[in-house]
Order: sequence, then C-alpha cells, then structure tokens
Amino acid sequence: MAASESSTPAFDSIELQELKQKLIDGCHILDREGITDGFGHVSVRVPGTEAFLTIANVSPGCATLERLVMLDLNGKCLGGINVPPYEWPIHACILKARPEVMSVCHTHSKWSSLFSVLKGGLRPLHVYARFLPIAGPPVYPAAGLIGTIERGVALAASLKDSAAVLMRAHGDAVVGTSLEEAILRTIRLAFVSELAHMAVAHGEPLYMSEEELATFSADQAFPARPWEYYLSRVQERHSP
Amino acid sequence: MAADRKDVPKIDSAELKELTEKLMTACHILDHEGVTDGYGHISVRVPGADAFVTIANVSPGCVTRDRLIMQDLDGNYLDGAKTPPNEWPIHSCILKARPEIVSVAHTHSKWSTIFSVLPIKLKPMHHYGKFLSADGPPLYEGIGLVRTVERGNELAAALGNGPVVLLRAHGDAVVGESVEQVIERTTRLAMLGEWNHLALLHGEPRYLTAEELEVYNADQRFPMRGWEYYVSRLEGKR
Repeated sequence: MAASESSTPAFDSIELQELKQKLIDGCHILDREGITDGFGHVSVRVPGTEAFLTIANVSPGCATLERLVMLDLNGKCLGGINVPPYEWPIHACILKARPEVMSVCHTHSKWSSLFSVLKGGLRPLHVYARFLPIAGPPVYPAAGLIGTIERGVALAASLKDSAAVLMRAHGDAVVGTSLEEAILRTIRLAFVSELAHMAVAHGEPLYMSEEELATFSADQAFPARPWEYYLSRVQERHSP
Repeated sequence: MAADRKDVPKIDSAELKELTEKLMTACHILDHEGVTDGYGHISVRVPGADAFVTIANVSPGCVTRDRLIMQDLDGNYLDGAKTPPNEWPIHSCILKARPEIVSVAHTHSKWSTIFSVLPIKLKPMHHYGKFLSADGPPLYEGIGLVRTVERGNELAAALGNGPVVLLRAHGDAVVGESVEQVIERTTRLAMLGEWNHLALLHGEPRYLTAEELEVYNADQRFPMRGWEYYVSRLEGKR
C-alpha cells in the first residue's frame, strides 16, 4: 500500500495535466448535455495507482483545474483542494471493487431518477443501450446520500459487474474503462431512459432480446467519435 | 409603528446593498430557469425590522435596482419605487406569521400549477424533495389573487409551518431562512413537479417514506454549489 502510494504522481505533476483536463472536459460535457445540474461528479483513476481525481465540491459545469482534488481509495486527500465531494465514497468504493474501472460518473439525471422509482425496469430498446443488462440496470434501493464507506460498499455491491446502477430517488452511478466511456454511457443512459419513457406511454415497446443485445455488444468501439462531438458542443458554447 | 420605521435602513443604503443585489439575482435565476414568466415575485425581510423588500410590479426577469420597493408587514409603503406588487399580502402575511422566515417566493410555475388542480399530490420521490413532507405540500383552495390581508392570512394558515403551499389554479408560495434556500426550494419544487408528472404516466411510483425523508434530512447540508451554479448560468457561462 505504501509502495503504491509512493508511486502516485504528485497532484501538480505534468504527468497528470492531460488527465485533469479530460476530467474537466467530461464534467462540462455532462453539464452541456443537460445531464447534471448543480450537483453530481466525475472521477478518474490515476493510472496504475490506488488514487483518483475528482472535482472539489463544485458543480460539474463550474469545474476548473483549480477546483480538483486527488484522493486515495480510503478518501485520504493526496493533493489539490481539500474539499472532496460529500459523496466521495461512491467513487472510492466502486474503484476499489472494480479494478478494471477507470472512471465513475454520479449524476442526478432526470431520466435515471425517474426509472429509479418506477416499478418496471429500464430495459434496452436501442443499440445505445448495449452496455446495459437485458433486465435493465440494477437499482440501489436505500435512502440517504452516499456519505460513508459503508453506504459506498453497499452501492458497489448493487452495481456488481454492471456498467450502471440506478440509485433510488437519487440518480445514477455509471462506470467505464476510460473516462470517455463513462461519460458516453452516462449520456446514453439518459437518452435510452427518455426513449423508454416515451415508448412506454404508447404501450409495451419492442425491447431487444438477449441475443440481439449480445450481437450489438460484440461490436464495441472506442468512443472517440462521440467524445469529439460532445467536446465540440462544449467549445461552441464557450466561443464568442 | 412609526417609531419602528426610524430603525429601518433606507432601501438604497450600503447596509442593504448586498441583500437587495441577492434579491435581484434570485429573481433573474427563477426567470432564467424557466420557473417564472412575466409574473411572480420574491421578497426578503429587512434584517431586524418588520419590513421587507420586493419587486415593484415588474416581472422577476426584468427587475432592476430602481424597481425595488420596501413595505412594512401591514403593506405600508416605506421606500423605493411606489408600485407594490398586486399580491404583496402573500409576503407580508407569511413574514408576519413566520418570524423565522427570511424570504418568500411566489411563482406561477407550470409544475406547481398542474399539481394544484390534480386529485393526486406532488410527493417526494427524489431527495431533492427532502424539504417536503411525505404527503406533499398543502393546497390553498381559495380562488382569486391574494390581494387582501384577509386572503394573505388564509394563505399563511394553509402554509402552516411548512416550506411550501400550492395555490389552486395559480401556482405556489415557497419560504426559506435565506434567499438562497428559497431559490433552491423553488427550483427543486419545479423539478419534482416535472418528475412526478413523468413518473405518474407509468403508474404509481415508489415515493420516499417519512422515515426515509428523515434519513436524508439527517444528512442535511446546505451547499452553496446550487446557487453558484445558477449564477454561473445567468452570466452566460453555460
């Protein structure tokens, strides 16, 4: 443990600059796409270490390089502004339970919040949902903010091996093997939920079958193209 | 009463500058977030006085410093622009009945209005609704604008000790212990109204129980992130 900590690059090192910028871009994308409001956060693992970067108690849309914090998987501050988000255990506990996961998004997305309190699950009905299980994402049922390790561990247990978990009366947590993938999945989760909401208003839609879902999932491509697209939308807004 | 007024600072005094700025920002936030239209108003109590400042018969989105008015809790004009909002008793009667309350917002929010006329209640199904009780906000049944002290008192009675009252076929009144809290509650009430509407199209959603609301309220914090975020949106940064 001490060995891995000593190998963690310093918060201000040049090595982390690109990752930090990507984290800020990811936050701004979620804000721009209307997924986050004043709340929610994104984290990214520092590659090869037991540390992660997230935003320091600031709205994703207001995140800047000056408002980041680096924590270890027990929540200890390793650098940056020492005001971690209240729900830092969402990130620490999932990153600890899922070594392959590089990034976690937590949002209060309207659409995730909606399906988190409905009795029917959010079943895949579009190719964009191919990262979801056939019965829809699991739901973490307990009330209360994830302000403790105990609650974070319970959330990670609900998520299990899935890409997303809905949090009842709260929102979602979405993971990816890259930050780009976590952001893209978060956007698509909202998109698919809205589609499902609209479709269900017409009656029972034609959901994807398990075989069909497996076919689509075999086609996994790295999300470089949509990332470029969403980033262009953020930059468009910031240009005069 | 006249003696009290000597202790009330002038509306354009340095002492009230920050508070009146905040009041105007709050009006612009509700407008920018689509909660108010051409109508609605926010008030803020003058600290330590039986007086409040609100907007002088102008749309929240159009308010400027020269269109603020100060009144006492009987509605007497004290300072500023001379045109009180039609429904000033909403503010004076609630501020009189609830000494701990610092700010009151009244809006014609689409989502409050819809739940004001439905047989089904707007109930917390997200922790953004943790300031509400499990059975949702009460309803003021009276039809007509709240232009008299009599109606203002009825409205304050319907509000009781709660944070919100819906006004039938009209909108809402939301109270808080700061302007920021009132803005958070008013914007969240609208979000919850929309989310309840969406959920109810699928059947009965799973609401938060009174016990679960207590769990959320035990986590109580009032981060200023929401306010900072809404201000940043006003400034066109996003």
